[in-house]
Amino acid sequence: MLTYMVRRVLYMIPLLLIVSLIAFSLIKLMPGDYLTTARFNPQITAETLQQQIERFGLDKPFLVQYWYWLRNVVQGDFGTSFDTRMPVFTTLFFGNRLLWTILIATTTLILTWVLAIPIGIYSATHQYKPSDHVVTFFGFLGLSIPNFFFALVILWILVVIFRVGNYGLGVGGLVDSRFFDQPFSWAKFCNYLWHLWPIWVVIGTSGMAGLIRLMRGNLLDTLSLPYVQTARSKGLKESVVIYKHAVRNAINPLITVLGLSLPGLVNGSIVTAIVLNIPTVGRAYWSALQRQDEPVVMGGLLFFSLFLLIGNVIADFLLAWVDPRIRYD
Amino acid sequence: MRNTLILVGLLAACSLAALGQGYATQPADALVFPIGVEGTVYEDMELGVRGGTLHIPNIEDPRAWNNHTAHETSTTWFTYRMHRGLVNLDHISGAIVPDLAKGWEISEDGLVITFHLREGLKWSDGMPITADDVLFTYNDVVLNEDVDCNSRDGQILPDGTFPVCEKLDDYTVRFTLSTIYRPFLNSVGVGIMPKHKLAQYVHKLNPDVPAGTFNETWTLDMDLSELVGNGPWIVTDYAVNVSVTMERNPYYYGYDPAGTQLPYYDKIVNHIVANQDVSMLKFRNGEVDVYALRPEDIPILLPEGPAKRFQVMVTDLAGYGTTWICPNQDIGLGDGTDAEKRELYRNVEFREAIAHLLDKDTMVQNVLNGLGTAQWTGVSLPSPFYAGRDYYGGPTTESDAVWFEYDPALAASKLDALGVVDQDGDGWRDLPSGAPLTIEINTNDNTTRIAYCLIIQDDLRAAGLNAQFQVVDFNTLVNKLFAATGDIIQLGLTGGDEPNSGKNVYTSCGSLHAYRYSACEDPDEVDLRIDELMDLGANTFDLDEAFEYYKEYQILLAHQLGYIYLCQPTFLYAHYDYVGNAFKASPISTPGGNNGNLTELCFDKRL
Repeated sequence: MLTYMVRRVLYMIPLLLIVSLIAFSLIKLMPGDYLTTARFNPQITAETLQQQIERFGLDKPFLVQYWYWLRNVVQGDFGTSFDTRMPVFTTLFFGNRLLWTILIATTTLILTWVLAIPIGIYSATHQYKPSDHVVTFFGFLGLSIPNFFFALVILWILVVIFRVGNYGLGVGGLVDSRFFDQPFSWAKFCNYLWHLWPIWVVIGTSGMAGLIRLMRGNLLDTLSLPYVQTARSKGLKESVVIYKHAVRNAINPLITVLGLSLPGLVNGSIVTAIVLNIPTVGRAYWSALQRQDEPVVMGGLLFFSLFLLIGNVIADFLLAWVDPRIRYD
Repeated sequence: MRNTLILVGLLAACSLAALGQGYATQPADALVFPIGVEGTVYEDMELGVRGGTLHIPNIEDPRAWNNHTAHETSTTWFTYRMHRGLVNLDHISGAIVPDLAKGWEISEDGLVITFHLREGLKWSDGMPITADDVLFTYNDVVLNEDVDCNSRDGQILPDGTFPVCEKLDDYTVRFTLSTIYRPFLNSVGVGIMPKHKLAQYVHKLNPDVPAGTFNETWTLDMDLSELVGNGPWIVTDYAVNVSVTMERNPYYYGYDPAGTQLPYYDKIVNHIVANQDVSMLKFRNGEVDVYALRPEDIPILLPEGPAKRFQVMVTDLAGYGTTWICPNQDIGLGDGTDAEKRELYRNVEFREAIAHLLDKDTMVQNVLNGLGTAQWTGVSLPSPFYAGRDYYGGPTTESDAVWFEYDPALAASKLDALGVVDQDGDGWRDLPSGAPLTIEINTNDNTTRIAYCLIIQDDLRAAGLNAQFQVVDFNTLVNKLFAATGDIIQLGLTGGDEPNSGKNVYTSCGSLHAYRYSACEDPDEVDLRIDELMDLGANTFDLDEAFEYYKEYQILLAHQLGYIYLCQPTFLYAHYDYVGNAFKASPISTPGGNNGNLTELCFDKRL
């Protein structure tokens, strides 16, 4: 197992290199660059533009630019954002963005799983009953509503239908402005919760439907296996049959899904974060993409790829851990 | 609890330390806004009271706090409020007025301009503001090649030199120009920076720091208590993606006639919101006090106003900037193709036919919900130099405007006269030689622009011109424009009060002379006269005289039809009744963006 893990980790290095080269090529293939907007500004002269191009190294051939970038990265220098003039990772993480991202993503993840697994089980054990249809319907509804739209609808309902402004409550953002310069208090904590629940609902419902369907399908498959019939014919209680025997086996494929949701922790829910005005890493990355701020785009991509690969490794590891049939040696 | 109190006390002490105590009495040289004074543009405004917090929505995060390395309005919105220059543009008229300088003299030959600074003024940390700060800003920041400064290009004189800035005494600075250059009075308004705070980051003054350090100074992650300014506001808190809080600068030198120091509000909280939709919801929810609305918001906000006690201001002001279509008169020049089409596009009669096919009224009605103004020339509508205004010179009226009315019949007869008729019976007009004529119209993925293009496409097709509209990526579009590989491109340019800022666009060798780059080698009579008028307008300090040159220039531009102008949306905003003076002084932005923000003159009527 250990040699397998080491080997997997070492594989990540060439993989990251290939990812970075592809990403760099894609950025260069996009029409225009960071300075395109400046080129369109009547007040900026051609000489100044040329100076900027040279300052950012955009005049060098593609491979030379990539080589410079790679050489600096190996030395631990990911460069400075063209846009904010701050180091790449400061631009991405500055202002507690990483903290908020992880906090929101983990709480949403936990909520999604805590709700989706029991609903999936319920749905499987009540197959084709009206309650199964109701749960499935809402699951699909959550999956099919675009997040940005759902977020806007929630804000609209709060403002226009419930008129929360009359009760001094704000919408969007992390906390109402009257708490900005207040020390931490119970009221402030509650206000944070008031601002966080729409995020949980929007992101949670979009992820839940898939999980419910997966859990339902797996459990139905498992319930039809001979060993479940054996367990039942032994006279075991139905709850023991389901929770001790069937669910434990049916949940295995979901473990892989859990491992793969790791990268989503840092780069997911970009659109929801923008609409609901939440500071996340994904949002900073999105801005950099829009402005073609190359160093930040590259640094961010490398960071997200690293998380994706680590997520894969963790998924493999977890699978081996929960399923005694799987061994990698 | 005790710890919390100590913490709050410490924080308060820190913020006092950063911001200083304020003036004991009104400085003799204070800048007094004539609020309520008859005969001024401020006459219908009210004297306010101090206190309160103004909540404003803002779509984008700032990128830095450094006034001189900022390149976009999301940053300059804040830096302009922290750093003021020797002169400013009057908030309402757009004319150049004294700011940090109380006045200036221009020598008889027009080459030496001497500025007298207001005496006894201080930076927000209590240090005195002197001529050394002005010298530092010009010589060590703006004109320093090591600094990636956004305003250096604006300082270049027509002969390629820069003004020479010297100190005469602590409160007098002298600029010597190699040639008379009126736009200098505009560009001299760059924000003055505190030498005592920033000199240490300039490589030229402190060789211990590496070259380029200034560019990475005052970035977003700085300790905000180090920010020092001379404007009405100082940023004191920044919650990334959420809000920016600005507090009053206790040493701002602006006062009202009653002797109350400005700004009236204690604080501005800028709520950074995702988009206009969320911005509007926050306004309706009472979280923000003002909102710059879109025409489509009117049906929702107008009925809600009386009950919620807010006003929807439909002004008669159009925004700065231009919106146009650009038939590429150099089409195919690079690869030697499309010679006949190129010849046609270069024929002003053809461009006139196109202009007569632009239904600007429908564009205003359908795209801008009736809230817009048609445009006919290249100077921004609110500029005091716009030929349709009577601010300078005159008397001039809209009768000077050159309109190509929407007239499909006239357009058709012009096309017929050019031989652009359907020769093969396919229903589309062909080139005079009989070769098919297709016109590609491009713009980027912007709903307003797409809506304009669809109307244009329909009108061109109705006239028998085979127009094909296609949306392309913005960068591709800009590349097409600059490489002169496009056909007809629809876009817009930013504008301002100063017509000379259009020099890059309208003079024959300008880098944005995208309708005919070849005019640089092969200018026609009109091109030469435009070049000449641009120089003449810049070469006099007599504003009325300059206006006459710019008027002729605008009329020539309109006849030349290089860029064919469309329309500009009217400036709309809404504010709650309790925001005093907001009726005149939109605190969000005025059409001019940065230059007309009157946050310092608004006040809370509930106090």
